[in-house]
Amino acid sequence: MARGTAKSTARRRRGVSYSKWGYIFVTPFIIAYLIFSFYPLLTTFIYSASNMKRTTSKFWGFDNKDVFYDRYLNLNDLYSDDFDNRTGVDSKSYKRLREYFDKYQNNADSLDPLNEDGVKAIVEYASFNDGEEKYSVETANAVKNAYDNKDFSLLMGEPYDELVTWFSGYKNETMMNMKALANIRTRLDAIVDSSASDEESATESEEAMTEASFLESEAYTEFVASLDSTEFNPAQLALLDYLSGYLSSNLEGDYTVQSYFAAVSDGKISITDPSFYYTCYTLDKTKIDFAEEGAEEKINSNIPVSFLSDLESFLIENSWKDTINSLNSYSDLDAYSKGEKDLHESEEQLYADLKTLQAAGIINIVPLVRSGDEIVESDDYLSNKLLAYRRYIDTKYETSDVAIAAASQISAIKNFGELTSEGGSPERFADLGINIYAMISYDGTVDIEKYRQVKSTLGLADSLSFASYERLDKERKQANIEKAQQQLEENNAQLADVKAAYEAAKATGDKKTTQEAYEALRRVENGITEAKENISNPTGILSKVDSSRFYIFSGMENYRQIFNSKSRLDTVVGSFVNTAILWVIGFIPQIGLALLLSAWFTDKKIKLKGLNFMKAMMYLPNVITSVTIAVFFRKIFMYSSGGTSSASQLFLRNVLGIAKGYNFFESAWATRFIICFINFWMWYGNTMITLIAGITSISESLYESAQIDGANSYQTYTKITLPLLRPILLYTLVTSMIGGLQMFDIPQYINQNPPRINFNGTMIRSTRTVLMYINSMAFGTSSHKYVGIACATSVLLFITTTILSIIVFYIMRDKDAAAAKKLAKKGAKKNG
Amino acid sequence: MADNKEKLNQAAEKAEEVKAVENTVSETKEAVEKTEKAVSDKVETAEETVETSAPAPKKMKSMKAARAAYSALVYVVVTFFSILAIIPFAYMITNATWDTYTITTSLKIWPNFSNLIGQTVKNYHSLVDRATFSFAVGFRNSFVISVSSTALSVYFSALTAYGIKVYDFKGRKPLFAMIVGVMMVPSAVNITGFYRLMHSMNLLGTLWPLILPAIAAPATVFFIKQYLDSSLSLEIIEAARIDGANEFFTFNRICLPLMMPAISTQAIFSFLGSWNNFFAPSILLVTSETKTLPLMVAALYGDRYTDMGAVNLGLSISVVPIIIVYCFLQRYIISGVSAGGVKE
Repeated sequence: MARGTAKSTARRRRGVSYSKWGYIFVTPFIIAYLIFSFYPLLTTFIYSASNMKRTTSKFWGFDNKDVFYDRYLNLNDLYSDDFDNRTGVDSKSYKRLREYFDKYQNNADSLDPLNEDGVKAIVEYASFNDGEEKYSVETANAVKNAYDNKDFSLLMGEPYDELVTWFSGYKNETMMNMKALANIRTRLDAIVDSSASDEESATESEEAMTEASFLESEAYTEFVASLDSTEFNPAQLALLDYLSGYLSSNLEGDYTVQSYFAAVSDGKISITDPSFYYTCYTLDKTKIDFAEEGAEEKINSNIPVSFLSDLESFLIENSWKDTINSLNSYSDLDAYSKGEKDLHESEEQLYADLKTLQAAGIINIVPLVRSGDEIVESDDYLSNKLLAYRRYIDTKYETSDVAIAAASQISAIKNFGELTSEGGSPERFADLGINIYAMISYDGTVDIEKYRQVKSTLGLADSLSFASYERLDKERKQANIEKAQQQLEENNAQLADVKAAYEAAKATGDKKTTQEAYEALRRVENGITEAKENISNPTGILSKVDSSRFYIFSGMENYRQIFNSKSRLDTVVGSFVNTAILWVIGFIPQIGLALLLSAWFTDKKIKLKGLNFMKAMMYLPNVITSVTIAVFFRKIFMYSSGGTSSASQLFLRNVLGIAKGYNFFESAWATRFIICFINFWMWYGNTMITLIAGITSISESLYESAQIDGANSYQTYTKITLPLLRPILLYTLVTSMIGGLQMFDIPQYINQNPPRINFNGTMIRSTRTVLMYINSMAFGTSSHKYVGIACATSVLLFITTTILSIIVFYIMRDKDAAAAKKLAKKGAKKNG
Repeated sequence: MADNKEKLNQAAEKAEEVKAVENTVSETKEAVEKTEKAVSDKVETAEETVETSAPAPKKMKSMKAARAAYSALVYVVVTFFSILAIIPFAYMITNATWDTYTITTSLKIWPNFSNLIGQTVKNYHSLVDRATFSFAVGFRNSFVISVSSTALSVYFSALTAYGIKVYDFKGRKPLFAMIVGVMMVPSAVNITGFYRLMHSMNLLGTLWPLILPAIAAPATVFFIKQYLDSSLSLEIIEAARIDGANEFFTFNRICLPLMMPAISTQAIFSFLGSWNNFFAPSILLVTSETKTLPLMVAALYGDRYTDMGAVNLGLSISVVPIIIVYCFLQRYIISGVSAGGVKE
């Protein structure tokens, strides 16, 4: 009684004075849950109902959106942190480089060796005494003398030799400078060229090249002749071999590169054939890996193709559209333009292709420059680029001004001495070409803070601002709308005529004319649709990163996008179906084996020895990082037609005697079965242990009474064990299902480019799961992100999970369930 | 008498059943025969006792033999799956000591004894030369994330479970129901929102996005709460209060040690989960200095790595520590898995 009173007092006391502690204790959990789980879930739901399909610089955190735009314009190179690493020029040389810029940009003619500034530099440098090896005061005076008398021959003899000796010490670095400079110049030229070859300026070109004139051109004939006469080094020969293989496999008949060019000269193959451009391009700009897996050899040595730029400009002028289409043979752009294909799943490839085309000069990016405080679209890009480079160099590197001036002056003198008739020509430096793209390239990461800092140091922060981009974008859009309106009017005007023509042709019954008339009508109709589309959704210069429309509530827009586009719906549903297939095929043997093993492990009649050890072995795969396992199995099942073999191929060849081996990753179902096997293999141990625990928690007395009643082990198992195991099975099913829906690591790293299969008419990746789809939509490497779609898919995943859980609970529910659950709990407490 | 009859029936039934099983195991007879010999002595002695009690000697004899065959079959199957579970790791680790030529031309499941150290070191150099990452950095990041998130997870989960168990505050039952409910929500569905949140908190490119959320781990709370329900007595807390301990002191110094069995189990799982986590880190760890070990292992996928010895070594580097830890902790891990199932 007294005890009872004490207890109730305690409870009251707890109720009164301690309940606040309860709140204090659970508060961290609640706050953390709300912030890190609930709020993100809520925002995911909100984003799924927001229109963000075109966004993302802001969404992903680039508040300074011009980073994005600059990237689009390839301006980032300037600001990237490891500029020096990638250009291969050490910091000292930068300063020297800067000097060259000065000369080229402002006073190109001042490279005259008898330039006053240069002489001053040499004289000044000679008077310094900074420990470096230098030329004598006499030499400096000789230079001055030569300058004063405007007679270079006065230098000949000792002073010149001394200068040259000093310079040769300087030479290596200077050569580096010159190379880097030449590269940058090449690049700048390329930019200027590419902007010049814009649509408008292309039409201005007076002397249009024809195929015949191209084939007759000196550069081309010379090149073809040189193919037969030139001695190639081994790497170049390998390149030629590679191309011969490519040509023979892609064209009818056997070709060597030489015979191919001969065929082109004979007019058997058109120069607008994609193979021609590819061949020339590969010869000239090559840096290719052999296609075969496992081969390490790379071809780095190119064979300069002198007429490549002519070819490019020819293609741009005449049939660049066709060229794009033909280059698209390895991408899906073409099908996309016809609306036959959903490109959302191969965006990366698309942009890679676009980049290739840009690098080839076939499409180009609109260059922007500053004009005063404003940024304008222009082809006068060179000066700005030079300015930017120079300022960058200025802010980063410092060394002796005078030494550089002197060195550059001496190099000029030296050139002058060697080429007295022509003088030191800047062009001399320019043909030391190295592919600048290989040295300076955007690697995909930008440190925003540093980026901004450098940008403001360069004085570009205001001019290359978001506002400028936006304004420019707006103007371009406006122009495009006007263009489209014009197109619309023209097409509308034609429509009636074309329609009448079609009707007339139909009336005559002539098939050919009807067909032609119909095609004409279709063209006009398509033109109208296109124009309308362009008016409603005009293309700006930066439409890809159009940032004007995020966080706008759009209701069911994203869902509509998923459900209205057949290809996209198929892709999304296909990813769910893939996930289900991968889970089910893995789960059935998993639960089957786990039931069997758990029955054996708990069977008192068998009494397995070493049970714990075996359990531990079987559970082991479950604790290993799944990515490791995926990569391991990838390497185990890898296929190569060459000499190298993975373990599975060795097994097929040596044990089963299948000489060819089998490429598992080329077959959708083989890839799927490998994934299912891995899942099965990783998880049956876990399921088994859970089931064993469930079986041992069933009260012993039940089995005893069953035995007394004469039940055999099969009856005991089906009548007692399984029903009482139901809650555990349910638990296993639900957890495995939720885990299965989140399958990601293994399919992602078993085969990143799985074979596509036909799903309801759309080709989808055979092993892409829901999470992989969400990942690629929202976090893929392309700059065009479909966050809204990703969020909507997330919501669909959430709903699916919930519905499936409810269904599973409903199916597994029975009238005994509650009792069994109680029993199981009781058993657990007993054991626990 | 009736009992006897029943027993006989039962025996007959069993014999029939066993016969059926026998048919199914005929394939494994060869393996069975050996075991049969080994157990034949026992069977004979058992036969005698059976003969005296039951007048069906032939049936019982075949039954015993069948049982032996049956258990032999079980051994064969179980051994097969045990070996299947470890053979890939054995292959991975032994092949880390071979050169690419050997690996790609012959199946080796034993280490390269003739040049064990030399070849391994060679493979290591090949791996490091090609790697665009440093395993040391990966280890450090994985370790920092796993240790801190585990510590946060178990401490705050214990705190929450304790709060729900011990204090009778308003709404504790709905709270617990909610925790059980959200346990089943797939954590990956909110990744987009979470990424955005981490960006707005300026935490991208740090390790925090993988550490902080560990404070709220519903499953851990649930399991610790279950443990408390069965083992924590409120008298201890009362006693502590009477002695003047404040509530945090009671929790930290008295109850936390009592909860250690549950906490250590949960800590192991939390650590493993965090160590093996891939999806979230692949999205949230945007800079190369913060990449974890699984992200680095993922890089071995590429065709850039054609030196199979080096690949196997890289994979082994990520596997061996887990296996070593697993050897020491497997007892706790397996009992933890068992508890997970039953307590649901």
